[in-house]
Amino acid sequence: MSKDEYERVDVTVKRNTKDLFAFTKLVPERKKRIQNASAEPIRKDPMNKLAHQLHPIRQYLVIDKIIDNTKTTKTFKLIPDPDSETKQLAYFRPGQYLSLKVKIDDELITRPYSISSSPREALEGYYEITIKKEEDDGFLTPYIWKNWKIGTKIETSGPEGFFYYEPLRDSEKIVGLAGGSGITPFRSLAKSIANEDIEANLTILYGCSDEDDIVFHDELKTIEMENPEKVKLILILSCEEVSLEGCETGFITSEIIKKYTDPENSSFFICGPQIMYEFVEKELEALNLKPKQIRREAFGEIKNISEFPGFPKEVIDKAFTLKVHIGSVEKDVPAKATESVLIALERAELAPPSKCRSGECGFCRSHLLKGDIFVNPISDWRRDADKKFNYFHPCASYPLSDLEIVVPRD
Amino acid sequence: MSQILKNQEIQDTYDVIIIGAGNGGLIAGATLAKEGLKTIIIERHNLPGGFATSFVRGRFEFEASLHELADYGPPENKGGIRRLFEDKLDLEAEFARVPEAYRLVLTHPDKELDVSMPFGVEKYLDKMEDLVPGSRESVEKFFNVAKEIRSAFRYIASTHGNPDQGTLMKEYTNFLKTAAYSAEEVEIALGIPEKARKILNAYWAYLGLPTERINFTIFASMILVYIEKGAYIPKNRSHGYTTALDKKIKEMGGKILYNTTVNKILVEDGQVIGVETLNGDKIMSKHIISNASPTLAYNKLIYPQSEVPDIAYKEVNARIHGMSAFCVFLGLDASVEELGLDEYSYFIMEDMDTSAVYDSWLELQVPKGQATVVINNAVPDCSPPGTSLMYITTLFDPKAWENVKPEEYFKIKSKIANGLIKQFEEATGAPISDHIEEIEIASPETYARYTGTYNGIIYGYEPESWDSLVPRLMSMNDDIHIKGLRFAGGFGARCHGYSSSMSDGHTVALLTLQDIKKGGDSHE
Repeated sequence: MSKDEYERVDVTVKRNTKDLFAFTKLVPERKKRIQNASAEPIRKDPMNKLAHQLHPIRQYLVIDKIIDNTKTTKTFKLIPDPDSETKQLAYFRPGQYLSLKVKIDDELITRPYSISSSPREALEGYYEITIKKEEDDGFLTPYIWKNWKIGTKIETSGPEGFFYYEPLRDSEKIVGLAGGSGITPFRSLAKSIANEDIEANLTILYGCSDEDDIVFHDELKTIEMENPEKVKLILILSCEEVSLEGCETGFITSEIIKKYTDPENSSFFICGPQIMYEFVEKELEALNLKPKQIRREAFGEIKNISEFPGFPKEVIDKAFTLKVHIGSVEKDVPAKATESVLIALERAELAPPSKCRSGECGFCRSHLLKGDIFVNPISDWRRDADKKFNYFHPCASYPLSDLEIVVPRD
Repeated sequence: MSQILKNQEIQDTYDVIIIGAGNGGLIAGATLAKEGLKTIIIERHNLPGGFATSFVRGRFEFEASLHELADYGPPENKGGIRRLFEDKLDLEAEFARVPEAYRLVLTHPDKELDVSMPFGVEKYLDKMEDLVPGSRESVEKFFNVAKEIRSAFRYIASTHGNPDQGTLMKEYTNFLKTAAYSAEEVEIALGIPEKARKILNAYWAYLGLPTERINFTIFASMILVYIEKGAYIPKNRSHGYTTALDKKIKEMGGKILYNTTVNKILVEDGQVIGVETLNGDKIMSKHIISNASPTLAYNKLIYPQSEVPDIAYKEVNARIHGMSAFCVFLGLDASVEELGLDEYSYFIMEDMDTSAVYDSWLELQVPKGQATVVINNAVPDCSPPGTSLMYITTLFDPKAWENVKPEEYFKIKSKIANGLIKQFEEATGAPISDHIEEIEIASPETYARYTGTYNGIIYGYEPESWDSLVPRLMSMNDDIHIKGLRFAGGFGARCHGYSSSMSDGHTVALLTLQDIKKGGDSHE
């Protein structure tokens, strides 16, 4: 080992001999302090306790009430399952979601749903989630419609996601651009503004394709009436016949946005189906907003990946084999090019942990040992070094060849 | 547990099990895998690094905790960490040099000070002489004593904590004479003028205890290594080098299990025999390196608990648990030029009364000091053109947060973050609050959440003189309370900090290797 060149100086802190003697006492002093200390174990760990209260890994809930909002939308009121370790519900910020874990036949899948109730209601002992029956969502919502009853037990994550109002970042003039069941986080926010847990104003521009599809209309109108300075709801209906008064017709265009809001000084929050993002973002472009003014809720898994630019058309009909390493198991699993790697893993009962299903939360982060994947740029939230060292998020990645992957266990 | 998950359980035997893939665990794992031992690292999070990681929000990838890596050094004067990364591990990780040492701004109206200090001992001494005429001789003395101390540390480490008293007396007298005193005591004895001491002590927050309590030898050697070798940061944030370590460890035959929490360290007749995990794995070994602290291991992990001897609890209770942190991560929609941010590293304090700043960490309030880094000033392309990436760090005693209710938590975080942002704006004049595109705020709760560290502590045990590096190194054998169980990382013998934790991981791996050779109980 290299030796330092330095000038030997002469230091005296107290007295020469005392200084030398002080050194020899260090180890005995340490021993003495240890001998004299208490032998009691430490039982308290308040920060880990608080972490567990705010971010439980799992919450065990039970359906307490089911409300039919529209022909295709239900709200499920969830309370702690009295037979479980969940005694209190985790507090959250309006706009956050719960990832539900649902077992259908033998297949465990996860789905993120925004919490539609307010944080204060979580303290009172319940969450509400509002689900629209989707025609194109294969089997999950039909399963829920058929099987979820009062008393059904539901396992969820803690509150997750970054789609919330942050006073240090956002304008206190909030504009919610909601489409269909994308109204749910704004109901939570409107309630929090009404009960003064959040100090901000909210204008919701709510696009629906049918009067029958409007969720929480009366409730939001009541909040608006009681808080005229703070909450405003504007409906934009794209159906041919409109009977409700005071609605706009068509879609959420830049003209409508300009008519009801002060774009330059507002923060825009978008939540709705994938197709709505594509439309609304084009309209927002015309307003010359700064990137910081636009926040998007992750909309879950992309359903039409093959239509995205850059997706290689020649693999659309192909199926591949994934060689999966998970814990002590090694297994070959079939996978379609147009379905996410996560779906293939769930189907094979080898699912890693997952929450957002949008590439954002990183919970399913896995290692790609061999093969090629397609990652859609809009859901590519990987860290730079993960790209370099072939780590990927199965929920936002599609196989373009046979793959060999190492997946974490749930 | 479902049958599916049961099928995935791991039952195996290893030469060494490492609990935790933080800085200490990763380096220990890499060192042992390179030696050809059958090595497994078990990490509760789904990423390597512990605190040494990154996270993505919007267009920004944030550094989670590193300010400046010490002991890396330039290619022509490599520090221990660069030698480890480049020469021993041939790691695929790139580092960038931090341009200047620091800017220190004291904001108290009666004690105002605003200085920028360069790297390089000679340049530093020149600048100090400019700022405090007549200081050169005493500050130079400080660096010479620091160099002697560093040589003494190397000597003591080479003897595995059993130095020859005669050699110490002959070669390292100044080390012996300062080893029992605080930074303040020795600096005054050296005759360093008060203003020069304020400037010299700016780095104190990296160790997190007041200058009248911090042991001089560890403090002086830290300042020396920064000023002499400069500071470096990884180009892809800490995740860049920790992921490179992950790759290297696997290439050398080591295994890393992510998203797997060790909940039991199994002990039989005073000897570790293996671990159990929340996934139901049972992995056996007679050698465990815990990157989790002794506090956590003795109080939560050892199974059965009756195997924890009283002396282990006493050791943990005698030592002073260090600070947790509070961090405001900012992605700004303006460039550093637009904001007028010229420096990488800002130390902003009301005054250099380090006890007063330390005391402000004991209460739930806006602390009286911060250490802030602007990453673009070391890695210009760390964020998209026209944006910048910075974060404000201060410390907190977790006790200050003990009574925070979940429903108050987010508002308290916002309020403290806002105070720190204002503090920075007042000290520098940079209008950052108008440009916040992304913000994330970490509190002691956050550190507990992501790493499971006891009470959210990011620093290890406080290095007062009696528990500083030297007495720790010389007590290494006495501190083994359960056969086969050693500790590496921020709570380890070299005290906290990135480079210390990594050096500690390396040393502890070599000691474990020695244990194995002596015991002859390698798995092979």
